[in-house]
Amino acid sequence: MSRYLKNPFGIRFKLVFLSSFMLIIPFLGYQYILEMEEYLRRGQEQTVLGAARALATALNERPELFDEGAYGRARQSDDLYVYPVFYQLALDDGTLVDWQDYQRYELSYGKNDTIGTQLNPHSPFARYYHYDDSLNFNLLVGEYNRSLYAYLKVVDDSVVYRSQESLSVHRNDFLQISLVTREGDFKRYVVSPRGPEFLYAYEVGEDLRDISALRHEESISGQWYEVPGGYEIELRLPLTMLGDKLGFAIYDVDNPQRRTVSSVVATSNVNDMEMLGSLRRPTPEIDRIVEGMGHTNSRIQVIDRAGRILLSVGDIQTATGLALSDEPVGSRGNKYWRLLEDRLLLPLYYQILTKPSNDFIDDLYAGGTAAGFHIDSALSGESVTQFRTLDDTQTRILEAAYPILADGDVLGAVVVDQNMNGIRTFRNQALETLFNTILGVMIVITFGLFAFASRISTRIRDLRNQAENIIDDNGRLKNNIVASRSSDEIGDLSRSFSDIVERLAQYTSYLENMSSRLSHELRTPVTVVRSSLENLGMVSQDKDSEIYIQRAEDGINRLNLILTNMSEATRLEQMLQTSEKERMDMAKVIMGCVEGYRLAYPEFELVADIEGPAIVSGVPEYIAQLMDKLIANAVEFSFPDQPITISCRVVRDQAVVRVANHGPLLPDEMKGRLFDSMISVRPQEKQKQPHLGIGLHIARLVTEFHQGQIRAENMREGEGVAVTLAIPLLAE
Amino acid sequence: MARRIAIVEDEAAIRENYADVLRKQGYEVQTYSNRKDAMRAFDIRLPNLAIIDIGLENEIDGGFTLCQALRSMSDTLPIIFLTARDNDFDTVSGLRMGADDYLTKDISLPHLSARIAALFRRQDVLDQPTSPENLLQRDKLSLDIGRLTVQWNGIPVPLTVTEFWMVHALVKFPGHVKSRQVLMQESKIFVDGSTITSHVKRIRKKFIQVDESFDCIETVYGMGYRWNMQAGSGSNEP
Repeated sequence: MSRYLKNPFGIRFKLVFLSSFMLIIPFLGYQYILEMEEYLRRGQEQTVLGAARALATALNERPELFDEGAYGRARQSDDLYVYPVFYQLALDDGTLVDWQDYQRYELSYGKNDTIGTQLNPHSPFARYYHYDDSLNFNLLVGEYNRSLYAYLKVVDDSVVYRSQESLSVHRNDFLQISLVTREGDFKRYVVSPRGPEFLYAYEVGEDLRDISALRHEESISGQWYEVPGGYEIELRLPLTMLGDKLGFAIYDVDNPQRRTVSSVVATSNVNDMEMLGSLRRPTPEIDRIVEGMGHTNSRIQVIDRAGRILLSVGDIQTATGLALSDEPVGSRGNKYWRLLEDRLLLPLYYQILTKPSNDFIDDLYAGGTAAGFHIDSALSGESVTQFRTLDDTQTRILEAAYPILADGDVLGAVVVDQNMNGIRTFRNQALETLFNTILGVMIVITFGLFAFASRISTRIRDLRNQAENIIDDNGRLKNNIVASRSSDEIGDLSRSFSDIVERLAQYTSYLENMSSRLSHELRTPVTVVRSSLENLGMVSQDKDSEIYIQRAEDGINRLNLILTNMSEATRLEQMLQTSEKERMDMAKVIMGCVEGYRLAYPEFELVADIEGPAIVSGVPEYIAQLMDKLIANAVEFSFPDQPITISCRVVRDQAVVRVANHGPLLPDEMKGRLFDSMISVRPQEKQKQPHLGIGLHIARLVTEFHQGQIRAENMREGEGVAVTLAIPLLAE
Repeated sequence: MARRIAIVEDEAAIRENYADVLRKQGYEVQTYSNRKDAMRAFDIRLPNLAIIDIGLENEIDGGFTLCQALRSMSDTLPIIFLTARDNDFDTVSGLRMGADDYLTKDISLPHLSARIAALFRRQDVLDQPTSPENLLQRDKLSLDIGRLTVQWNGIPVPLTVTEFWMVHALVKFPGHVKSRQVLMQESKIFVDGSTITSHVKRIRKKFIQVDESFDCIETVYGMGYRWNMQAGSGSNEP
């Protein structure tokens, strides 16, 4: 057994190792979910493109919707967006409350929007060091009933009105309106009030200061009124006046004596037709059509050929494409589970997963025009979908653009955007569930396998231990294997082991009992012979026959002795079973025995070396019987005129008795079996008396009865054999 | 009138051999090969002595059953077990059943007849007064050699014939060590040493039942046994 290297990897380890291949399952699950995400993304792509296509189809062949004409490219911040107002606005109420919540769309113009004019010539950079914040205004432009409405909330520390007698319009605070008509004419109007009043607008010529060029414009109406810290202007002009460009400028005069313009804040450069900001009109028809598309959970934009956004519905932050509940239901029931999940699992998972945030800013669309590859493609007539990743938040945005056609010309494009957070969140939730499930399953399987393997290896080890314990050092069957009742292979193995050992035990027992049985069986015929001989002896008076009868009786007696010896061991075993041990001194018993042997074997020198007391628990008679056998053995094998040494010592917790004689050595192969039944090493010629090898067997039986050990070995010095008997001392 | 001996033995040769010897000695011998036949005969008339084998034909313990039945019929009828079974357990069982002696089949016919004679003699002299020359007095112990009875302190000790002869051998010369061999010869049995050991044990037990402080039979290890006069000295001095 020890010849083989002990395998460092037991069954348990192997099974656990094999089970580690299960780790491939979460990997497959992960791959599957990624596949699914990809699939969903394609689906979303198709959906988005489909939505764009549907909308574009609805807008196809309707060029009137895009009739704003050819816009010029203008600086974005110069543009004015016209909000559709759905109710009547009063110009003469002296307040802005009727604008209601449109006011939040108002745009601010201030220091950064100052411009230089003929009245206050300066370099474009002058504003950075020269002008203060004392002048600024908020502007809102709306449309109602084919008219353009606007208000300006001007903050001005000193309001200077046109003096009553002054004809010129430029020596006080005034408003300039610049526009390009549909015919493409550049026109400028000035509102220069003599106090809070209804607006009286002049069209001006090349130079504002040219009084002769002033011409009253009736179609511009409205009111100028003062408010704390400044003034407010509400005005209206018919849309028919307007082309596609419009601008407002507030000229500020702070000193009522000198009356020079100190600063001008404008929406764009109002004195240059080319630089004038664009007017972005609402497109109610498109709006209605888009509205008809319903809520698509995406952001829809309609852009015109110039990339200007005509309409934008929806909010990219909430356009997730998928309707998701925040919390997956069910899996979060248990409080402890939730705690575990939040504290341990989710932080772990999000080491590898990215959690998208909805707090992103799509700066691409912050302004009024849209740009990008997809838009360029759509405007050149090709539908396209693309993904864009916002760098700061790892948010991906899906964009689909589809061209709007009319007579083969591209009029504009429909852009439908969705952010991918929906799918990402969905994927993350799926992965969380997958990881949780797999973690659970893996734990269960691993523990299960471990337990299973432990059970198996325990059983096998158990079986091995049992198998090792079957025979003792002398090769005698000691125990049996407890047959397992389980029906599997190990149980089978255990049962067949048990069966084998049982048969072996039966065979051994048969061998061991054979002498006893044989003697028992032989006794009856021997008795028949002997009683017959005795009868014959009584009957016969013949001298000759008497001799034969005598010889026959001798033979029978000898046979009888053999039979008695044969059953001695069995008889002793039976007696041992019913014997009770008592406290006894080994030294005294051995001493007594030695005295007896000196009488019994006067021809041998018996050297006793006995130190006592050696108190053991035992039966003195049996010890004496054992000694009888040992001495008989020693005497028989001793060389003549050599002493036989008998010693008794207490060595640690054992009484050790040693009987040594000088004589022939034991054959090596017999050493372990010497104490077995019917084993004899006597050479045939030495057998004066019948020997069955029962003597040392009896010695062993007695030794075992006393829980001791006995062994025979060749003496190291000199030729001889020593039998050593060790019996545990009585614990006191 | 001749004494009647019943032999219950399933082995015909042995049975007849024993019967022949006993007939020659003047006994009237009836032989039975199984328990049923024997019981039928015993129901009609009891013998003066019964020799029984334990294993009878198909009954492993038929002898024991028979012995019990006989003992219930008569308290005084001498019963001898004569069997091939020589183990201690059967011996104890047999004697406990009320048998007067337990002999193995190793015993020679002269020994057997000596024992039978002794048992009959014991029965015969039971009524007669004890003759003083047959009495052996040692301290508290008194042996009646004629009746084969033992008394300790005036209390009878129920010894079998074998046991009586052993005690007699020991007591004849108190203090002398008697080897197992000698005891075997004296008690007219032929067994091995360990059987003598168990015989001695039984004798001790019987005395101890009468007197708990009995300590007269001393084991001299390696040699044999001796009778100690001084009760209480149980030393193993050789």
